[in-house]
Amino acid sequence: MKMNSKKLLPIIIGAVVLLVLPFLAQMITGNDYWVLILCTMLIYVIAVSGLDILFGYSGQISLGHASFYVIAAYTTGLLNNYFNIPLIITIPCGAIFAAILGAALAYPASRLKFHFLSLATVAFGEITYYFLYTSPGGFTNDYKGINIRTISFLGGSYTRWYFWLLLWAIVFVVAKIFIVNSRTGRAFIAIRENTHAADGMGVNVQKYKILAFAISAFYVGFAGTMYAHLYKYISPETARQKQSVLFLTMMLFGGSGSIVGSMIGVVIIEILLELIRPLQEYQMLLYGILLLIVIIALPGGIVGGVRDVMADRAKRKLQKEEEGGAQNG
Amino acid sequence: MAVFKILLINGLVIGAIYGLIALGYSLVYRASGLMSFVQGDMVTIGAYLGITFYRVLGLPFAISFVLTFACAFGFGMLLERGVIRVLLSRNVIPIYIVLATIAIQYIIQNTAQAFYGSVTQRFPSVFPNKTTLTVLGVTAQTEAYLALVVSIILMILLHFFMTKTKFGTAMRGSAMDAMAAESVGINTSLSTGVTWGLSAGIASLAGMLLGPMYGVYTTLGATIGRKGFAGAVVGGYGNMYGAMVGGLLLGLVETFVSGYWSGTYKNMVAYIILLLFLLVKPTGIFNESAIQDV
Repeated sequence: MKMNSKKLLPIIIGAVVLLVLPFLAQMITGNDYWVLILCTMLIYVIAVSGLDILFGYSGQISLGHASFYVIAAYTTGLLNNYFNIPLIITIPCGAIFAAILGAALAYPASRLKFHFLSLATVAFGEITYYFLYTSPGGFTNDYKGINIRTISFLGGSYTRWYFWLLLWAIVFVVAKIFIVNSRTGRAFIAIRENTHAADGMGVNVQKYKILAFAISAFYVGFAGTMYAHLYKYISPETARQKQSVLFLTMMLFGGSGSIVGSMIGVVIIEILLELIRPLQEYQMLLYGILLLIVIIALPGGIVGGVRDVMADRAKRKLQKEEEGGAQNG
Repeated sequence: MAVFKILLINGLVIGAIYGLIALGYSLVYRASGLMSFVQGDMVTIGAYLGITFYRVLGLPFAISFVLTFACAFGFGMLLERGVIRVLLSRNVIPIYIVLATIAIQYIIQNTAQAFYGSVTQRFPSVFPNKTTLTVLGVTAQTEAYLALVVSIILMILLHFFMTKTKFGTAMRGSAMDAMAAESVGINTSLSTGVTWGLSAGIASLAGMLLGPMYGVYTTLGATIGRKGFAGAVVGGYGNMYGAMVGGLLLGLVETFVSGYWSGTYKNMVAYIILLLFLLVKPTGIFNESAIQDV
């Protein structure tokens, strides 16, 4: 691929910004808090990118993705706590276990239509929550949640965590670009656009639907393990619908079916939530109202909105040129 | 036998409540082809409105009941006109409508919290002079019997409204085929609005019946609402009678499981039943038309 300087410049600027961002945040606020927020954003970028593969590309909905997030977090945490297995093994185990569960859920659920698929995923999320909340023998420590060790070479330094997560976010986003542009990605898009037509063209609809679920559960699961080791704690509460809706909101706010959309959505929603945090009990009320306004005003997300404006401008430009041409001629 | 009878009554009471909520889901699905997550929170609204009218303003229970229904009915219609129809007319992808109803859920729950705080509110007894009642040897809270009787009356009334009145027939007609209904002179816009209002109203009454038994808190409806949805799926989603039967069945199963086995898994049981039905028999007991894809 040939890169001209016009394309290269924004990438270099972006890279520099990403590199100095944690130091800048620390300098301005004088503490680590916003570095931690940046770390959280990177984790969410991985999770939301995964959800976008499922919804934005293969057109399936899930309102229960937080359960994959939490299941993976518990898997790595419990394996490490009980059996002292090193994190380098437990973290992939968590993400893979989430992917297997995703596939197991998708195997029967992929036949369900939109609303019912969403409810099946809600039910899955609630079952996860109640299971972790009152597990047999209390091996999940029930409602109290579990304490989890941090990754040792990162220690307590959020700045180190930031670069570690930045690396993984880049890996996962690049992987997403490859997936959606591959044969598999094209099959996903075909299913999203018209399931019956995709079936007719010879796409194995069920197989690809399951694959999409598994891939996105893997993404979200990996993000969950990172979250658990960063915050050193996970509780069943995170498996509830609220967290799943947060992922969904971030994805839709940025614009689904888009690489940058997921990232924009995460950054804006996370900053917004931080800004309205001082309102305390009114935080969720304001969040709900803002959400509703955004849905009504901007039903294609930010990326969709920008796309519309660009298309409009291009159309007008074309019209003007045509008019100019007519006058000259 | 005594335990069995008590569980039976308890199961029927909560089942009837689930049935009422399930009815709302089915009506809305028929009329707009949509699933509204707000349905459960209408229960919350109903319960808080009930407290406002009955406890704060000191109105008689029957009048509070009617006022609550009227307010929720209005809210349901407003929701359909102000949000759902706007979104539908823009041809947005359905997920935005789901998300919009979730946003409204947040607004309802947090507005209720802003007014009444996050502490569980006491709903005053409806029969202060006779708090328990014994029927067929089973003693239970009088409000439990009230909830059961009122729910059954509401279901019967709804049945007659939908099948015997002109407006009910019009509602069924426009749910079946909007264009055909329009062409025979039915005001489909009005009947869709009324359907939303009606399902909101019924759910709010369920909240008012639940209040004296459960106490009132902001997430009361969210949990109960999802159980109601499970009931609707079990019965056959979109089928009015399926909703009633499914709701009752779910209430009974849930109560018997927690009575004879363990209360710990009470909530899980409902979701497992929901998931099983969705995955194995999504058309429900009443074999309601396909909700399957490919």
